[in-house]
Amino acid sequence: MPPRRRPEATLERALRERHVLVVCGSGGVGKTTTAAALAQHAARGGRNVLVCTIDPSRRLATSLGLNRLSGKPRAIDLSGRRTKSPRGALWAMVLDVKSTFDALVERHTPDAAARKRILDNRFYRHVSAALAGSHEYMAMEKLLELSADPQWDLVVLDTPPTRHALDFLEAPDRLMDFLDTSVLRWFLKPYFAAGRLTLKVATRTGALAVRLADRILGLEFLQDLSEFFLAFEGMYDGFKERATRVHALLRDPASGFVLVAAPAPLALEEALYFHRRLTEKEMPFLAVVVNRVHPDPGRGAAATRGHRRARVPPALASKLVETFREQQTLARVERRAVARLEVDAKETPILVPEFEQDVHDLKGLALFAETILPAARAASNRVRAGAP
Amino acid sequence: MLLDDLLSRRLVVLTGKGGVGKSVVGASLALAARARGKRVLLVEVGAPLEAARLLGGPPSKGRVKEALPGLSTVNLDPATVMDEYVRHVVPVDLLARRVLSSPIYRRFFSAAPGLRELMILGKIMVLEEARARLSRRPAWDVIVVDAPATGHGLAFLKVPLVASRAIPVGPVGHNARRVLKLLRDPGRTGLVVVAVPEEMAVVEALEFQRLAADELEVEPAAAVLNACHERRFSDPEEAEVLRLTAEEARGSLEPGVALPAALRAARRQIRRRRLTRLYRGRLKRGLAAPLASLPFLFRETLEREDLELLAERLEAA
Repeated sequence: MPPRRRPEATLERALRERHVLVVCGSGGVGKTTTAAALAQHAARGGRNVLVCTIDPSRRLATSLGLNRLSGKPRAIDLSGRRTKSPRGALWAMVLDVKSTFDALVERHTPDAAARKRILDNRFYRHVSAALAGSHEYMAMEKLLELSADPQWDLVVLDTPPTRHALDFLEAPDRLMDFLDTSVLRWFLKPYFAAGRLTLKVATRTGALAVRLADRILGLEFLQDLSEFFLAFEGMYDGFKERATRVHALLRDPASGFVLVAAPAPLALEEALYFHRRLTEKEMPFLAVVVNRVHPDPGRGAAATRGHRRARVPPALASKLVETFREQQTLARVERRAVARLEVDAKETPILVPEFEQDVHDLKGLALFAETILPAARAASNRVRAGAP
Repeated sequence: MLLDDLLSRRLVVLTGKGGVGKSVVGASLALAARARGKRVLLVEVGAPLEAARLLGGPPSKGRVKEALPGLSTVNLDPATVMDEYVRHVVPVDLLARRVLSSPIYRRFFSAAPGLRELMILGKIMVLEEARARLSRRPAWDVIVVDAPATGHGLAFLKVPLVASRAIPVGPVGHNARRVLKLLRDPGRTGLVVVAVPEEMAVVEALEFQRLAADELEVEPAAAVLNACHERRFSDPEEAEVLRLTAEEARGSLEPGVALPAALRAARRQIRRRRLTRLYRGRLKRGLAAPLASLPFLFRETLEREDLELLAERLEAA
């Protein structure tokens, strides 16, 4: 299969037509910026767009030129640039893991007493936001909720910066494994469900298991933990049902994945891995965006035939040559790494050149979109030319 | 001197967002400490880019391996560390094996909140407290830890705090409190914030400092600004670059290097250098800790010599 052509057009169309866009990639590759740039472009194009970030360090806020974003969607003012006022609207929010988890508990508990039992559990209070995979799981939960809200034409989800960026796809399973009380209950219930630390021991094996667990983790900890598990009893089916719906949503043809990478060899290696995993999981893949590609200073330069030597002081000349060679090396390393992506993943990546300034405001985001999307470029040219 | 203060502590923990080159800074810091005659251990946590490989030593999966005389590396894998812990608290081999082979144990460990982080930090504490068998002096003078690149550097370090609150009694809570004490002791532990001269990285470094102080009650001991574009052209040379550009000067500097292309490269270098200066200034003003700058290296692959060069820069900071 030849590499997929015209990824820009694919992405542009997705921004006009799809309902959910998941932006993934490893940390530090400009994922948040890419998500925000795509979202604002779709909003300028006339859609009602919500961009949701999970990153607790609130990078999106910086990308949007704001100091703070809250757990609730907040309208971003897109006007004021050289464009006419946009036809659509851009909203942004930061995922609040704890409150999403609380809402999930509310949704699935049968009664107020059960709800209180969980929300008051010491273990839950302290660690629900830190549960392995809870960030990812709550992101999925939130996505399900937001995508069902008719207010948004498009929801752009910026995924958590996990080491393996696809962890979030498995997070629901992991968390459910943990909350699946059937195994742990077998282990814990006989000792904790009835009384507190009375530890009426039914079998010798059981006694041994508890003694070992005490040595390793401590009974108090297990006690809290078992209360926590028991409190979740009966909610498992609800959780499972939500997880199934998340899976369906992610595979839906109205959803799409954008993979963001950096041009460094190591980062592209990771991108290749992500791409493989997305394909294996049959996720609707859209495009790879490679950010901050360094230009080759030799490219597009006039041929240096004629051997006419430039008249430059020798000290400056040698510095100029050194600078040229450095940047040439960097561009070559990146080009090779990107070429591997084309060969191995059969994807033509969208290359975003390094900008003169860091992208951290709306203007920068618009420029970012214009650089990679032909329609954004055309629209901006029309405005510049004063045409309608 | 930045290193005088930093290396007076046995434990040095690097934090920073993904992509700032923490592994490289960690390896360079380890080399700098080694150059001072210290016995150094470089710790990575499930890292894809192994420090050992950077330093030219044998892969150090799970075990402490000497990469160079006086410098060892270890790549800690949470599951292996947890198994080790089980063997330690359950000294009867048969019983320990029973625990380790139990599917419940595996499952519990893979999903239990914070347990991985706690085990890793616990292991680091054990390394910090380790004594040589005969001389009883500390096994390591300096332990450099390349903390996992969570989006939020603090998440990893906060685990012991959360655990000590959530689990007041028992071995887990007890260990969490000991780890917390170690992290909070400025005589034993130094946090190093790593950033690059870019908006997001600098914002995050400053935010990390604030959150570390508020939530963990720890101040960073030092900061490293990695991948800096340093001054190459003097002011008159910069002016000359601009003049030649405006004049559309032609010709070649040497075969394959056309002057217009080289001028373009030079202008880019000057711009990146200015941005570096801008962000360095912002970090300096915002951070209470001393700041070292490391240059951006234009290399196909990083070699030992490159790291030694960075180590010298750290020494000179």
